Amino acid sequence: MFRSLRTDNPELVRVSVNGHAVEIASGQSVWSALALSGQTTTRKAALSGEDRSAYCAMGVCFECMVEIDGIPNQQACLRRVADGMTIATQTITETSVAK
Amino acid sequence: MSAALTLSEHGRSALVLDRGVAPGGQIFRSVSTSPLPDRTALGPDYAAGAELVSAYTNSRAKHVAGADVWHIGEDGRILYSHEGTTKQVEAREILICPGAIERPMPIRGWTLPGVMTAGAAQVMLKSDAMVAENAVFAGSGPLLYLIVAQYLRLGVKVAGLVDTTPAENYLKAAPLLPAALGGFGLLRKGLALLSEIRRAGVPVYRNATDLAILGDQRAEGLVFTSDGRQEIKADTVFLHHGVLPNPNMTRALGLAHHWNEDQLAWHVTKDAFGQSSLPHVSVAGDGGGIVGADGARHEGTLAAMNVLTRLGHFASDQRDRLAKPRLAQLRRLARFRRFIDRLYQPRPALRLPQDSETVVCRCEEQRLSDLRQGFEEGARDPNALKSRTRCGMGPCQGRQCGPIVSGLLAKWQDLPVQDVGYYRLRSPQKLLSLEEFSQFQTVVPDEGGTK
Amino acid sequence: MNADVLIVGGGIQGCATAYQLARRGVSVLVVEKDYIARHASGVNAGGVRLIGRDLAEVPLSRQSMRMWHTLDEELEADTGFRAKGLINIAADDADIAALNDRQQKMQALGYDHERIISRDELRERLPFVDPTCVGGAMSELDGYAIPYKATNAFRLAAERHGATFLEGTELAGLRRIGEAWLAATSRGDISAGTIVNCAGAWADRVAAMIGDNVPLSHAAPMLMITARMPHFASPVVGAVSRQLSFKQFENGTVLIGGGAKGFADRAANRTRLDYAKLAQASRTAIEFFPIMAKASINRMWAGLEAYMPDNLPVIGPAVNADRAFHAFGFSAHGFQMGPVVGKVMADLVLTGASDFDLSAFRIDRYDRKVL
Repeated sequence: MFRSLRTDNPELVRVSVNGHAVEIASGQSVWSALALSGQTTTRKAALSGEDRSAYCAMGVCFECMVEIDGIPNQQACLRRVADGMTIATQTITETSVAK
Repeated sequence: MSAALTLSEHGRSALVLDRGVAPGGQIFRSVSTSPLPDRTALGPDYAAGAELVSAYTNSRAKHVAGADVWHIGEDGRILYSHEGTTKQVEAREILICPGAIERPMPIRGWTLPGVMTAGAAQVMLKSDAMVAENAVFAGSGPLLYLIVAQYLRLGVKVAGLVDTTPAENYLKAAPLLPAALGGFGLLRKGLALLSEIRRAGVPVYRNATDLAILGDQRAEGLVFTSDGRQEIKADTVFLHHGVLPNPNMTRALGLAHHWNEDQLAWHVTKDAFGQSSLPHVSVAGDGGGIVGADGARHEGTLAAMNVLTRLGHFASDQRDRLAKPRLAQLRRLARFRRFIDRLYQPRPALRLPQDSETVVCRCEEQRLSDLRQGFEEGARDPNALKSRTRCGMGPCQGRQCGPIVSGLLAKWQDLPVQDVGYYRLRSPQKLLSLEEFSQFQTVVPDEGGTK
Repeated sequence: MNADVLIVGGGIQGCATAYQLARRGVSVLVVEKDYIARHASGVNAGGVRLIGRDLAEVPLSRQSMRMWHTLDEELEADTGFRAKGLINIAADDADIAALNDRQQKMQALGYDHERIISRDELRERLPFVDPTCVGGAMSELDGYAIPYKATNAFRLAAERHGATFLEGTELAGLRRIGEAWLAATSRGDISAGTIVNCAGAWADRVAAMIGDNVPLSHAAPMLMITARMPHFASPVVGAVSRQLSFKQFENGTVLIGGGAKGFADRAANRTRLDYAKLAQASRTAIEFFPIMAKASINRMWAGLEAYMPDNLPVIGPAVNADRAFHAFGFSAHGFQMGPVVGKVMADLVLTGASDFDLSAFRIDRYDRKVL
């Protein structure tokens, strides 16, 4: 379980994670918004479709790619939250079909 | 930061393109803006970084935060993403500081959600004050012990420390100890961390082997052998067994590299001042070969001195005079580093996958058995294997599987890793938005283009 | 080392020739200075295209296409070939006029593999195409394959029939001693009765060793590939008059070509990219397919490819030496021709003749021009 050690009263922003409203400290990583709200699946593996989640948290492994405001392949560990941001698990696999 | 400071001290400015949101890199990440209630829990080394950041911030250096460099050409042209657009700068002298990445530990289940690296634990702590409660830490090396100690100081529970350092490493490293004593302070720090962890009552397992992640859909713990088969339940497992130079930028630029057997890693081939096989390109810090944070500061300064000489700011004998104490300190650190490298040299069985079903390429889900088949169908070179199997073709561009593939091909052919080589890498060094790139027009000089 | 036939170059032409000779019982040695399919044959866009060919190439290309459709069974391997069709998009009425013109010529020669499609059919086959596009031309037989896999499949099949491949072996010199060719290589001397030059971007140097001069140039066509996207385009896509070429593979990645050239450094065995031109190709892709605005480029690269001044290959015997043959200079559209070229070369080596009219592909076709 992930938790925050913050005791200050940071300014909060509201984002949506897979349709759930989440309040999160301004300036934090998108990955922390997922982790602290318990929605740790960032993407589906390209072939097997298995759940994947952040691994390196420093921009190296590309496991934490999510869709942000409809644009896929965004690294959740590198992007910062912004008020009104829509974050979704990236579900593109070999067999996905465009709608 | 060290290089930019040195240039600034001599009246020159530098353009610093930094992917981070604030100066500090990985080691001093968020040091001036820490979200933690008490950043001293991270130790005095981290807090000391604040001084460097503050000196750097007050220097002549022009810092561009959020500048994600995706191409460096040998002609000195640099392309980077910044605020949603591709920008270009031309530089007469370039210093590349790509830093380190963690050595992959391809054990069964390492792709499951809940498996992360010890470096990830550090980043989450420093940037977001976020921790994982009751996690297992497994592997070997100073960074692993440091993050466990940091967690404990912050009141975070740790389910166990599974130390994979082979028992025989202590014997192998012992002869290097006298030479390493110049780094006694560092050594003492490491030992103090371990005893701090034991005092806190965290179960510590020594000489662990045969690690595998428990769980089917998500990580549920770690199973391993240490005085018999052991199992620790946990929803988060942090792995770590050392760091490697982050190779993509220096490789894509075509710099010469060589295999370093002490560190079991590819190093950038460079001189004492960090000058690479391209005269106008220098490399400093862990990105050229692991030297640690202290070593990186010296290397940055030395590279800057050399650049100042190349720009005609001072003569080479002056450079050599100024450099002498730094070079001596680097040599002292190197003796200590050799001891550490030997002591924490990772087990071969953890560097290269053992189980044919273990995933090697996380992006393209290529398993050991797939690579072996590609090898048997004629692919002897990392690039041929990549073309054959797609191993290394995914978004991470081989950062995870690259070291494993070179190691496997060397083992299968009984060749030195040097002869097997590495992936041929290209720009872009990250996923690049087609939309952003499509708006890139042509040569538009901006940012002044110095350094 | 000895062999009946020494093939220089382990690209698709060399590997296919090795296969066709070896299966007919000939002892074959292939020398490749890097590794199999290292250059154009391994890093090209994978297009298996019959549509839009120069009329001189159509007979060869049609036969090759027939071979592609059964190649996996023949080679007992997965070449990645998929006959998804290819559509050249017409952006405006001028494009339609050009297509009508070509259609008349093709019909006069009795070729029926290309047909013009309406705006509605275009939209039906490519629902994500920009609605302003007016129609196009389609070949149902066309598709794509995976270049490295296809080339390596020929190599493995040739090896099963006894051919030997020496990778990392560069040809340094060539002499005709009596009835034999004596080749000096980085792995020692090789003696062979016949030599076949399939050396791609380096073939002019091998031709000169044989005794033939040829105005070959080389260039570095650039490609980009995206991270996986949801499937939106089944056929391979080109454009009648724009620099657009892309295909979405079954794995979801989208390969963007279009013919823009980078910088070829043949001496150093490498290429550099021209990012401004690649950016232009990106713009074109988004113009024709707005969904591509969501794409992320994963890799960019360029291969070293050989070009002839007329963009037609050299296929045929040497003119200044006996027992020497050439197959090179495919000018960025040779991958599709690989299967048939292997057959043609084997016929030439074994019988001195071919079923096809090769006059347009003679190596000396520029010699007789008075400059």
